[in-house]
Amino acid sequence: MGMKRGIMRKIFAIAKKELASHFKSPVAYLILVITISVFNVFFFMILDENREASLRDIFKVMEFMFVFFIPILTMKTFAEEKFTGTMEFLMTTPTSSTAIVLGKYLGSLLFFTLIILATSVYYVMIEFFSSPDRAAILTGYLGIWLEGAFFIAIGILTSSWTRHQVVAAISSYVIVYFSVSFIKYFQGTAESLIRYVCTMTHMENFAAGLLTVTDLVYYLSGILFCLVCTRISIENRLWH
Amino acid sequence: MIRAQNVTKYFGGFPALKNISFEVAKGEIIGFLGQNGAGKTTLMRVLTTYLPASAGKVYIAGMDVSRRSLEIRRRVGYLPENPPLYGNMTIREYLKFAARLKDIPHRQQRPHVERVLKDCDLWEARDKVIATLSKGYKQRVGIAQAILHEPELLILDEPTSGLDPAQILQVRRLIKSLEYRRTVILSTHILSEIEQMAQRVLIIKSGEILADSSIENLLKGPGGTSEDGRRVCLRVQGVRLDLEPAIGGIPGIKLARWASENNTHGIDLEMTHPSGDFNELAEKVARAGGRILEIKESKVSLEEVFLQISGNKDLSHSSRA
Repeated sequence: MGMKRGIMRKIFAIAKKELASHFKSPVAYLILVITISVFNVFFFMILDENREASLRDIFKVMEFMFVFFIPILTMKTFAEEKFTGTMEFLMTTPTSSTAIVLGKYLGSLLFFTLIILATSVYYVMIEFFSSPDRAAILTGYLGIWLEGAFFIAIGILTSSWTRHQVVAAISSYVIVYFSVSFIKYFQGTAESLIRYVCTMTHMENFAAGLLTVTDLVYYLSGILFCLVCTRISIENRLWH
Repeated sequence: MIRAQNVTKYFGGFPALKNISFEVAKGEIIGFLGQNGAGKTTLMRVLTTYLPASAGKVYIAGMDVSRRSLEIRRRVGYLPENPPLYGNMTIREYLKFAARLKDIPHRQQRPHVERVLKDCDLWEARDKVIATLSKGYKQRVGIAQAILHEPELLILDEPTSGLDPAQILQVRRLIKSLEYRRTVILSTHILSEIEQMAQRVLIIKSGEILADSSIENLLKGPGGTSEDGRRVCLRVQGVRLDLEPAIGGIPGIKLARWASENNTHGIDLEMTHPSGDFNELAEKVARAGGRILEIKESKVSLEEVFLQISGNKDLSHSSRA
């Protein structure tokens, strides 16, 4: 029991440090500002065109925005620590690799959650002026949050492969981009498999107000898979 | 405290450590001495559980490093070559973060942090952002982090490298002040440092231990071979042809080096002469028509011993001049 609490404390300590370092970096603020302003522009554009009280199309825009932003947000998580040598500090304190990975993941996830929360102002606006499809908006938010959480896990994994932040960002961008748009390039026999692997198809369900077990399992298992791989990667110090 | 048995570490096909075995007793201060790239850092990383050995076993406090790494990390304080600091934190924030990760109970974190801030002379700077600090300060923050949880074993990788003389003195004093109940391992390629701080030295070259001995034994002679040899430097004026057989003929005196310039000669002697005085020497020199200009006893320096052991004999001669 005491042991478990000790691990939780360490995870929170690392998460807090990560979150603080996001707030100390100009990149994170830039992402925050751009996300909100892009959201703002599309919000009025789409609302104007569709005359529909829904955020459905905006979620699509957000999805593509996060494909670009999340790799930049997560690129430094491990790469920077390796570059400056603080990884050696972390890995020689009595902190398990699992706690390090979870702490780092949690820190970035919290920052991302804050960005998502900041956009909820627009939901309030819709709520104020019309009667939106609340279920679709809520599942859409859940979907975009889960998708972001998945992208962050991918970003953290690629960051654990290298000492160079740019390399980490580009590799996670490539993976995330393909995971979103895979479906465009494949048709025929493997289509159902690809359809499952591709994040976009899952996100579409959420945005349409569909909450299915398959989609939840997809994101959660994807996140778990990336975090386990990250743990293996830092344990083996393949980058040495 | 430490028992290393046949430790080998490969990086790809490159052997960074070759079959290294040694033991360190509790409370000992031991120096790893070797040129850059000799394998000191790799050895330290294996000891701190940061890198797994490719073969061999390491036990710290009786525990296998590869099996009980978390427990060992609780007992080991480690300062890597570049102090592992987060530039955007203040010293106090960093030490608090370190305290949390090092399993210091919540209530004791603050007193621990305050103690090392004072011990490492960082109290005044405690709220400064680490990125703005000088190298000496950073090094002290690194040491503060290493001793924060009062480890039984302290491993310091080149604790004084890149510091200015005043800072080196500060750091040395700090390490000296820690020695009372800890086992300390420090690595360096600066020989005088080992001489001043350590009791015992391991000389490492290309991943192998070339010598493992106390500083005293090491200074007695290269590899401890010549017994209590005193080294004497002599400056003599006279004719070399007369002087050389006269001095070389004295029993118990060995000529180590002879450098001549015109009629002045610089001579290094190794004396195992039983009487230990210079009477006979002076007499023989006078009889050969020479005049002693200077005579002084010099100790074998650790530097020479090191260079001789590590096989750079040419260097060792030129460094003596």
